[in-house]
Amino acid sequence: MALRIVIDLLIAIGLFFALAGTKGIIKMPDAFCRMQASTCISTLGVLCTAIGAVLYAILIMGSIGTAVKIGLIALLILLTNPIGSHSIAKGAYKAGIRPEKEMSVDDYGRDFE
Amino acid sequence: MQKMRFPAVISTFIVCFAFWVLLTWSFEIQELAAGAVVSLAVALFAGRFFVHTKSFWFFNPVKLVNLIIYVLFIFPVELIKANWDVAKRCFGGCKNVNPGIVKVPVDLESDYGQAMLANSITLTPGTITMDIAEEEGQTYYYIHWIDVTAPSGKEAGDAIKGTLEKGVGRIFK
Repeated sequence: MALRIVIDLLIAIGLFFALAGTKGIIKMPDAFCRMQASTCISTLGVLCTAIGAVLYAILIMGSIGTAVKIGLIALLILLTNPIGSHSIAKGAYKAGIRPEKEMSVDDYGRDFE
Repeated sequence: MQKMRFPAVISTFIVCFAFWVLLTWSFEIQELAAGAVVSLAVALFAGRFFVHTKSFWFFNPVKLVNLIIYVLFIFPVELIKANWDVAKRCFGGCKNVNPGIVKVPVDLESDYGQAMLANSITLTPGTITMDIAEEEGQTYYYIHWIDVTAPSGKEAGDAIKGTLEKGVGRIFK
């Protein structure tokens, strides 16, 4: 029983960060800030849910194979996600997308334009 | 044409075979043999792209322990702090942001170390690495930062990647 509470708590924390990221994606003022909010989902949102799922698979389902596969999913998301966000941010900047409000510091624009 | 190096093929083979075993999770002799054949084929083709420098650093126990410490303790602490910070900003109406792109000096030298630090910075919410530039022997990252508290230079670098850079520096020079 205590085990179920821990597992459910981990998944609830993951869902909380996913909710925060979703609200950020809808509400943030410009494209780059929206991407920052989306990172919340793919790090702690995914990680806490995956840890909860791994514990569930080992201790309640009793299947190590499933647990290992869930762990691999989390690992691959962690490895590939930063590459995607890096190139999307760079591509958005090079394509001429700028925030409506002027950025307080913009060294990238200063050095490359 | 770069010469094929035997250690690179071996280490690529070990990584591929480990992934195969983890994904299938069955230890019958037929499965393992099929995995070995496929991994060897992949390693022969991809080894020279996958490994550029010394092939067996991963089996150096000191570096392995440092890697485990980094993955299990240093990085998660930064991750949780940054996640909580960004979640607070999201629920606080998304108005108290002060975005900007800062230029930050980095002291790591190897390609692997720079890539690992850049990916760690991008993974922590609130900072995204946008580009890497090299000027007069010093490497610089351009980082989009959601809440600029310090102008460019060393001060901003310490705020963004202080502990991360030390952790990565112990794994890759």
